Amino acid sequence: MINMTALLDAVHLLGSSWQPWLVVVPGILIGLIVHAVPGLTTSMALSICLPLIPYMDFLQALIFMTAMYAGALFGVAIPAVLLNVPGSAAAVGTTFDGFPMAQAGRHNEALGLALAASCAGQAAAYLLLLCLAEPIAAFAIKLGPPEMLVVSVWGLTLIARLRGRHLARGLLAGVFGLLLGTVGLSARGAPRGTFDIDLLLDGIPIVPAIVGLFAAAELFNLVGRDYVVDDLTRRSVNAGRILAGMRDTFRYPGTLLRGALLGTGLGLLPGGHAIANLLSYSEARRAAKDPEKFGTGDPRGIIAAESANASSEGGSMATLLALGIPTGGATAVMLVAFSMHNITGGPAFMREHTDIVYAVILSSLAQVVFLAVLGFGFIFVAGFVVKVRLRALVPTVLALAVIGSFALSQNMAGPITLAAFAVIGWLMQRFDYPVAATVVGLLLGRLTEGALLRTYQMSGGEIEFMLTRPIALGMLVLLVLSIILPYLRLSRSGLVARP
Amino acid sequence: MALSHPVISFGGSKIAVDVPHLAFVTAIVAWCIWFCRDAWLAQADVENLIMIVPAAIAAGILYVFVAGSCFSVVGHTDNFEARRSLDRGVGVKIAGTMALLAALVIAGPLIGFDIASFVYILATLLLLGERRIAALLLIPALFCIVVIYCFDTILPIPLPLFFAAGGAP
Repeated sequence: MINMTALLDAVHLLGSSWQPWLVVVPGILIGLIVHAVPGLTTSMALSICLPLIPYMDFLQALIFMTAMYAGALFGVAIPAVLLNVPGSAAAVGTTFDGFPMAQAGRHNEALGLALAASCAGQAAAYLLLLCLAEPIAAFAIKLGPPEMLVVSVWGLTLIARLRGRHLARGLLAGVFGLLLGTVGLSARGAPRGTFDIDLLLDGIPIVPAIVGLFAAAELFNLVGRDYVVDDLTRRSVNAGRILAGMRDTFRYPGTLLRGALLGTGLGLLPGGHAIANLLSYSEARRAAKDPEKFGTGDPRGIIAAESANASSEGGSMATLLALGIPTGGATAVMLVAFSMHNITGGPAFMREHTDIVYAVILSSLAQVVFLAVLGFGFIFVAGFVVKVRLRALVPTVLALAVIGSFALSQNMAGPITLAAFAVIGWLMQRFDYPVAATVVGLLLGRLTEGALLRTYQMSGGEIEFMLTRPIALGMLVLLVLSIILPYLRLSRSGLVARP
Repeated sequence: MALSHPVISFGGSKIAVDVPHLAFVTAIVAWCIWFCRDAWLAQADVENLIMIVPAAIAAGILYVFVAGSCFSVVGHTDNFEARRSLDRGVGVKIAGTMALLAALVIAGPLIGFDIASFVYILATLLLLGERRIAALLLIPALFCIVVIYCFDTILPIPLPLFFAAGGAP
């Protein structure tokens, strides 16, 4: 599986000069800082740094960008845990248990868990990539719309698991999100639900909507309180407790490994990295003997979401390097960096520059250590948010979110969406609807519709078509089993509620 | 403090109605149905409606269950009780925070995010109880200097600013 000659060449490339390593620390720090601001994205950070790329050699440029990517993937967890602000779709799952832990004064442990899970997820994904880069690429090319449809439906099952206390309200919140996710131009160019507003033709801006639903709505609820953490004695930023959180991560190897594998697999798919954290969270909850603890500050929720989120980078890089296909905004910008050096990703690149591919993988493995150290320092600083009075925190975070959403959408659509969804989110919380279900629907709406439509077009409406897609069929069987098995387990143990 | 609900008489029974919740769920489902109709009118084919119609039907069915839970025989309103009325002071602060946020969103691009953010943070600080002059001036000023000008420097598009633009944006 591993080309030893190329691997030795890669070690030589990385070991013979300190130059490739110069960019790792700045890359991780830029990623951490940029993504800690609600509304700023990895692709935006990468784009901002694109003018630097021609001044670096190709390997150095790739290491710089992967370092920034790694920093950003962890950076989103910090506001998600401390303020319930998922800076991007990739951190939605982290908020479910991260913020309840922070509110209970366990923010140090929560951030430690997120950092360790992120590092472990990234390490696992790149180790997998090191051993199986070529088979993974061959597998990725076989994945099409039917497989993506099954993945989307898998993601939608999370809505039922996030239903909260009232099943009908939870499902309605999810359906509402699904429909919101399809606002804008249809695949054939018909405007839907846009109120003739041009800004809505591209759909509802997802990140401002998520920040509004989760963060702003939550900040409104905090208005009557003094601090995020009420108890003064629990408001400290403590290195020992951050380390304890990091150690705790490895008490759940199954959750960690499942998240890493799911993340790597989903990272291979276009758009997959955005839902990896949600699917992993959903699966961790399904597999747990005590699923009711999820959402109340369970460490496994953070581990599942963060390990999948971080490992999705490995999957995305596999598709980018081996097939030359970007699976999201960040890898699309990386592709621009390829073209700046007159290099095209794809099978020929994998064949002719295997040493560079291995060098990128090895440097990414080394970046895990850098991320652990820099991330630890960063959360030590960021943790002081819990010491800031909410009357100062609420307006500054909201103003930051408004400006960030303007930067993201580059027009008024972002701020207006944020404000509108902030009110909707607050009302939903007030009437006991699970906001998370709407967010899942919103995230998966367009993805599911696109996959469903393309599958319909490929199959001509014939259900037997799925029989010709063994991977999709296998995934479908796994999906059905994942839904049925917990109920069978419960009914065997006599725990199913009787009417 | 528990909320009080309007009561209607129906078939000899007194029924309490959770009007705010009923209005909220009706608004959500009305939007879902309107959206489905809008999509149908835009293009009535399978490609356009493959997911929207089933989802809107599901919303309609779920409405029956959720709206049904907004009616309860007096004395059996346990499902209403989870939502308590807001303390008047907190309610005013939340409404004020929402209104100020809306004002920032509208005013930011018009007068510049620097001025709008300064005024917004200052006003929200006052609303939420901050009375120290130093905090009232320093927090908005620091925010404007550090955050806005960092954004303005790194963003690919110019952020509407009053001062950097040398006047109104």
